[in-house]
Amino acid sequence: MKPTKILSGTLLVLMFAQLSACSSLGVKPWERDMLAKDEMALNNAPLDNRLDDHIYFSKEGSSGGRSFAGGGCGCN
Amino acid sequence: MQLKQLVNISAALAAASCALLGQQAQAGTVLDDWQFNSAILLYNETDRVSAAEGVFTARGDFGDDKFLNLGLVVDALTGASATGAVAQPYVQSFTRPSGRGSYDVAAGDTPLDDTFHDTRVQLDASWEQPLAPNWRVSGGGHVSKEYDYLSLGLNGSVARDFNQKNTTVSLGLAYSHDTISPEGGIASAFAPMLLRRDFADDDSYQAAFAATRDRADDTKDTLDVLLGLTQVINRDWLMQFNYSLSVADGYMTDPFKLVSVVNSNGVVQQNLYESRPDKRTKHSLFWQNKLHLSGTFLDASYRYMWDDWELSSHTADVKWRLPMGEQWYVEPQFRYYQQSAAEFYLPFLQQDEPIPQFASADYRIGKMSAYTLGAKFGTKLAAGNELSFRIAMYQQTPENDGVVAPGVLAGVELYEKVTAVMAQVSYSF
Amino acid sequence: MTVLSIQQGSNCVVGRFRAMASPCEILLEAQDIALCQQLTELAAAEAERIEQKYSRYRPDSVLSLLNWNAGHWQAIDAETAALLQFANSCFTLSSGLFDISSGILRRVWQFDGSANIASQQQIDAVLPFVGWHNIKLDDNRLFLPAGMELDLGGIAKEYAVDKVLQLLQQQFAAQQAPSLVVNFGGDMACNRPRDDGSLWRIGIENPTLADQAISAVGLSSGALATSGDSRRFILKDGVRYSHILNPKTGWPISNAPRSVTVAAPNCLLAGMLATTALLQGADAEAFLQAQGLKYWLVK
Repeated sequence: MKPTKILSGTLLVLMFAQLSACSSLGVKPWERDMLAKDEMALNNAPLDNRLDDHIYFSKEGSSGGRSFAGGGCGCN
Repeated sequence: MQLKQLVNISAALAAASCALLGQQAQAGTVLDDWQFNSAILLYNETDRVSAAEGVFTARGDFGDDKFLNLGLVVDALTGASATGAVAQPYVQSFTRPSGRGSYDVAAGDTPLDDTFHDTRVQLDASWEQPLAPNWRVSGGGHVSKEYDYLSLGLNGSVARDFNQKNTTVSLGLAYSHDTISPEGGIASAFAPMLLRRDFADDDSYQAAFAATRDRADDTKDTLDVLLGLTQVINRDWLMQFNYSLSVADGYMTDPFKLVSVVNSNGVVQQNLYESRPDKRTKHSLFWQNKLHLSGTFLDASYRYMWDDWELSSHTADVKWRLPMGEQWYVEPQFRYYQQSAAEFYLPFLQQDEPIPQFASADYRIGKMSAYTLGAKFGTKLAAGNELSFRIAMYQQTPENDGVVAPGVLAGVELYEKVTAVMAQVSYSF
Repeated sequence: MTVLSIQQGSNCVVGRFRAMASPCEILLEAQDIALCQQLTELAAAEAERIEQKYSRYRPDSVLSLLNWNAGHWQAIDAETAALLQFANSCFTLSSGLFDISSGILRRVWQFDGSANIASQQQIDAVLPFVGWHNIKLDDNRLFLPAGMELDLGGIAKEYAVDKVLQLLQQQFAAQQAPSLVVNFGGDMACNRPRDDGSLWRIGIENPTLADQAISAVGLSSGALATSGDSRRFILKDGVRYSHILNPKTGWPISNAPRSVTVAAPNCLLAGMLATTALLQGADAEAFLQAQGLKYWLVK
């Protein structure tokens, strides 16, 4: 009893510049299962890094690298 | 037409369709989904500084890949901190940096200022969102307040994905304006540390102390540029390279640090307040690897930093997460740090030599190596919550950079090791 | 195997094939022709599987066998049982208007644009064989009274759209799928918004102007389905009889909109609501308003 669909799907496309870089490095979108894990995030323990950066910033002559080196603390 | 057919049947039909498709019933668009992280760190140096630091962050998901990040940091610091003055084979007296009161340091001990205490509160916020296909931007700011220090900052970054998101290039900028207003004002360069006992009365001491101070506060402006490249190497390997440039202009002297002036026998004649250049340009290269190795996760990074104070450093950091059963993991952590001394670092000044333009005896910019050895234990709880514990030992070994210690200085420890224990509890919910 | 074609647009790649008597499209945001080829092949295979299983035009389909063996308890597989349970929910929730056993009425109504109106006598002859409430359904078996027939034409295509989209998403790690649209002859579903933030622009044919006017609707995620009758009707004595039949009376629904499009989280839901709205006749718009979902209606 369901009426027949009378639609035709049409696509009105929008222009966007796409950079199609080709490289042997990298993975296909469906190969990101492991990279998608929390453990593989570059900053997977942001609080640990934040606390460490603050300790080392105040105890050593270097700072930054992973993130901004800047000010924010009178501890050194 | 029966009125009852005009009732809303979409919810019941939605449930029926989701049952057929084996999907979770959709409860409409979730606009705000918040993730919270909290941690408390206790840091305790043997006989020196103790610190407690609490961090609370919230990340709000506003849909369409838009996020709001909020952070609150509170830390409290108490204990004794090295002043930069050298140990002597007899008792030494020091005036507190505020000019009010004094303390004595026992023979042979590294002089520590035991009145060092501070509380800091920092608030920060940032917003991130997509800008165009493959482009992301973020912007934020921070306010950090201590008793004698105020820092205000703004930052922004833009990132572009390439090559099916396997390559990301980012550019970040941060600007910070800091104001320091130490109790008792800022000492002029190489102002002598005065002792009350050398003066006949309070008034003459106060007048002389005030003469060593030339301003109540000073400022420092810092501009940071961070260029980043993130590259997926393969299914199990992710790499990041950062180059950062940090240009600071303003007051970078530590208003509490001293440099001892010694005679040819190594006996302290006078302690002077240190003086550092008011410009510093730092560069760093940071390389991080994230590797999945048969069920374990390795995070290995290396940083090389150098600056126009001629201080350069190497930092290697390795964290290896080993799953223990379904819920737990253990993560051994090791960090090694090594720095060369800033060009104006001197453990002490010699009386018979002219005072240099800049000098600091702060061991933190002297030649040093340090390592951290620790472990983190974490467990995943219900509903995606996570609880973790971290304990680490941090040891700094300041080193002699070829300075010959004259006379009595040869018999005291000029480069005392600093050992600290860190304990941290984190909870994410 | 159906014939596939892959075409690159300026901001997407399109894979095309024919299934379920409709032109079918897989639209992929990522500019990856090889990926689109793989996904379109998977989609075509899944559409073919569902069509093969539930088409009433294929004598060896599961559905045809069920109809052929009416009058007996018959074992049914889990997927068929789930589909029939869904049809049961639709029947109940629409107060009996949405009835997959009503297809038999087509024997007396031919909606070919002619003036052939069925007689009440003809209708009365088939009406006893219409009525889902006469059917017995268990978890794994079905009793279809002799003479009755089931037609999943009103469910199968929407079901196929949702299943195909599910299948394509399963090819990617969680949260890693690019933005995809599965469009089977105007019934479509999209998994997630495009990375560039723009909407998928999908044209809806306007039945009043036949093929000329296409009003574009924007789809970011979720599904769209349309029910309507721009060509299938009976015209007699100036009265336009819709091809939508009331399963209770056997007569066409009067004053129904020509077409209804509904946006919903999945295509099955969108399709059921669009069809049920048409079955409300003149009350279609009031019914749609009560559903709280976005809709487009052509009177």
